[in-house]
This record gives sequence, C-alpha cells and structure tokens, in this order.
Amino acid sequence: MHLMTALGTQVTEMVWAFFEAVDLVGQTLWQAIKPPYRFKDVIQQLYFVAVGSAPIVIFSVAFAAIVTIIEASFHMKLVIKNDALVPGFAALLILRELGPVVTALLLTSRVGAGIASEVGTMKVTEQIDALKMLGIHPIKFIVVPRFLACLIGGVLLTSLSNGICLFSAVMVSKMKLGYTTGYFLSGMRVFVEFQDFLFALVKGFFFGGIIPLMSCFYGFRCRSGAEGVGRATTKSVVSSSVAIIIVDFILSWVFSYLY
Amino acid sequence: MIQFKNVYKSFGDKEVLKGISFEVKKGEILFILGTSGTGKSVLLKNIVGLLKPSRGEIWVDQQEVSRLTERELFPIRKKCGMVFQHPALFDSLTIFENVAFGIRRHFQWGLEEIRKKVQECLKAVHLGEDIELKKPAQLSYGMQKRVSLARTLAVGPEVLLYDEPTTGLDPVTTNAINLLIKELSEEFHVTSVVVSHDIQCALDIAHRIIFLDQGQIIEEGSPESIMKSSHPLVRSFLEEVV
Repeated sequence: MHLMTALGTQVTEMVWAFFEAVDLVGQTLWQAIKPPYRFKDVIQQLYFVAVGSAPIVIFSVAFAAIVTIIEASFHMKLVIKNDALVPGFAALLILRELGPVVTALLLTSRVGAGIASEVGTMKVTEQIDALKMLGIHPIKFIVVPRFLACLIGGVLLTSLSNGICLFSAVMVSKMKLGYTTGYFLSGMRVFVEFQDFLFALVKGFFFGGIIPLMSCFYGFRCRSGAEGVGRATTKSVVSSSVAIIIVDFILSWVFSYLY
Repeated sequence: MIQFKNVYKSFGDKEVLKGISFEVKKGEILFILGTSGTGKSVLLKNIVGLLKPSRGEIWVDQQEVSRLTERELFPIRKKCGMVFQHPALFDSLTIFENVAFGIRRHFQWGLEEIRKKVQECLKAVHLGEDIELKKPAQLSYGMQKRVSLARTLAVGPEVLLYDEPTTGLDPVTTNAINLLIKELSEEFHVTSVVVSHDIQCALDIAHRIIFLDQGQIIEEGSPESIMKSSHPLVRSFLEEVV
C-alpha cells in the first residue's frame, strides 16, 4: 500500500512537471513575441552564450574532428584496407552530427548549468517573487532573453563549430593521412549536400532552444538552500543532455525524409 | 484594509495555516510573531498572491485576492510593497537601477524624475547617493536590506509587508531597521505588517501583535495585553525581553 502511494505521488509529480514544462514553453514563446522587447538583455546574453563559449567550442570540436578522422582511417584500413573514403565520410559525420551535437553538449555544461544555478539562486533568494511584486513577468525578464540568445547562439556556434571541424579534418587528413585539401574537398562533394549544412543549423537552433528552457524549468523548481541549487543544476544538465540526444534522433529521422 | 477569513494553506499533506482569521486596519503596525516554520511568511505571501490559500478568503481593500489572476494582482502588488527575508536585489543591476526598477514599470517618468525619486527613497532609508552606482554585492547585508526597502518604497505602496526584516543583522542595524519601520509608517502613513521573531521590537513599535503557532493564532492584542498573556509560548518569548 505504501509503495503504491509513493508510486502514485511520483506519477502525479511527473504529470505536474510535464504540464509545468509545457506551460513554460508556451509562455516563453508568447512573451518572446509580445512587446516590449528587451534587445539589450538579449545582446548581453548572446555575448555570454556565443562569444563566451566560442573558445571552448573551437578547442573541443577541433580535437573531436581530429579523433574522428584518425579513428575512421584506422578502422577502414583495418577492415577494407583503404581509407580513401575517410574525407567524405568524416565531413558528412561532422556536419550532420559532430558539429551540432558536441556544440550543444558543451553549451549545456557551460551555459545551461550557469542559467540553472542563476535562476535557482534567484528563486531561493526570493528575487523571482520580488520581480512579481514589481509587476515584472519573470518569464519575460529571465527566460526570454536567454532563450532568444541561445537560439541565435546555437546557430552561430554550430556554424563556427562545423567550420572548425572541417578545417581540423582537412589539416589532419593532410598531415596524418597524406590527402591534399583538394582531395578532401572533392571527397566531401560526393558525400555532402547543401541540405547537410542547412540541417546542421536547424539542429543548432533546436538545441539552442532546449538548453535555456530546461535550465530555467529546473531553476524555477529549485528548492531552498545551496543543496537545492546544486540539485537543480545537475538535473538541468542531465535532462538537457538527454533531451538533445533524443531531439537529435528525431530531427535526423525527419531529415532523412527530406533528402 | 486587509482581512483574513478562515484561511487554510497546505503544501502536499502538510497543513501550514489552519483557519486563520484577522484584520489589519489602515495605518496600523501589526507584528506577527512565532517560532520558525509556523507559517508566518506563508501568511504574508498569501496577501499579495505569491501563494494562494487552499481554502478561505483574503480581502485587500474590498478585493478578494485569492481568486485574482497574475494580471489582476498587479494593482494589489503596487498597493502592497513587500520587503523580503533576503534583500532580493538583482545582482546584475546597480543600486540605482534596482531602486528605479519598479518606478520604470509603474510610472512613465523621465530620467530626472526617476533620479529624484531614487535619491528620495535612499535618503528615507538613511543611505547616501554615493552607493547608487555600486552593485548589491559591494554593499553589506544590512545596507542591501535598506536598499530593498527603498526599492519597495519607490512605487509608493499603501501597505508595507516585512518578512523578517532584521534576520541576519547585527543588533545595531536591527535597531536601525526597526526604527525605520516606525518612521516610514509615521512619515508615509503606510500600513505595516511585520513578520518577525523580535518581541522587543514588536513591544516597542507595534500597535497590535499576533502570535502564531503551528498555523493557528494563539494570542492577539495590543503590546500591553500581550505582556499579560499566560500562554506558555508567549511567556517564553517574553522571557527573552525580561
């Protein structure tokens, strides 16, 4: 009986959480299109999201691309005794998956964790209640600028990340595998289509939207104390990462019908 | 001005307020005392719709607030300013911007008028203009609490709700804040509802005191009548003073 009650409470809480999340998304979209617009806040957040994250994204994706090329070459040589398809195949993998997903996961850990802890702290120190008392909509003030900045930042960083990945791939192919830039690019043209560039940006846009929404959601639900803020941050990073992987699957599946 | 009619509030299985009824008159300073976790802050937040009662009615100037939407609560929240337990200042904004925040939302004033009002409010809480460009983190906790009070005053509330305004402050600053509550009440003719543990301050400046224990009112009356109370909890509070 006790187990059933506990299970029932858990299910009820999950259902509530789901409706709260839907409500947050709905209100964020509504408040984003409704004036007044807080351009200054969006620009400030965009600086934090895009400019602040650029070094870590450049550094990480460059190494991820290098490892992809080296691993792909090693295994192709092992199985089919030839790595000539590596440039084209790797370029496709980079554009479709590596660039957008690694960038999004890096943004989750840097920007998402920051947003969740910031909003969580605002909640436990009653700043959100203070906003309401001053007649300011907390979603308009807190969520919307971060949401818009992450949407734009997601697209910009995905473009940057794909560029850096391809550049690193060209370099390592030249130095380690002995393929010229020309060979890499012609290999890439066989595998990669224009849609791949476009779909990468669409993924960046969606992933950019997931991060602030998840982070603010857990921030708003934060319980009091440092432990509460820590827990909200952890939950937001884990949930955002899982959501990004699931949405990546859904988008890839949808895009497969558009080629 | 404010009326609680048989108000209940639960969080899950836990019933925090159990049939609370009382009234606050215009211009009155009412202190709500009690041990931690008895529902004092919950009671205060119900007045301005930050929390909704599970049952019962809360009236603020002929309006039943528990059924109002966020939009409808806007004039109530303008009328009732709240000073939170934490200073609740916005870290990214300067002190000037913090105090001007509500003014910008509620009034269509020019920069010069806003500046004048901010200075006036900072002066009312005994703070100088020199802190205007500082960020909240650059001020002491006591000063942050005063800025928080200035921010609340800036929108011209008719009612001031204080949620443990002296918690975490040293005795000197505590005394200064308590005097400020009295001063503001006299100077701006605002109604004040103060949630506190500070029985000495309540006896000094309150017109009326309510004692809350486990979600229920156990004693209510003027400071003089409270002094004569025989309730064990009230007596243990009074022992502190004696």
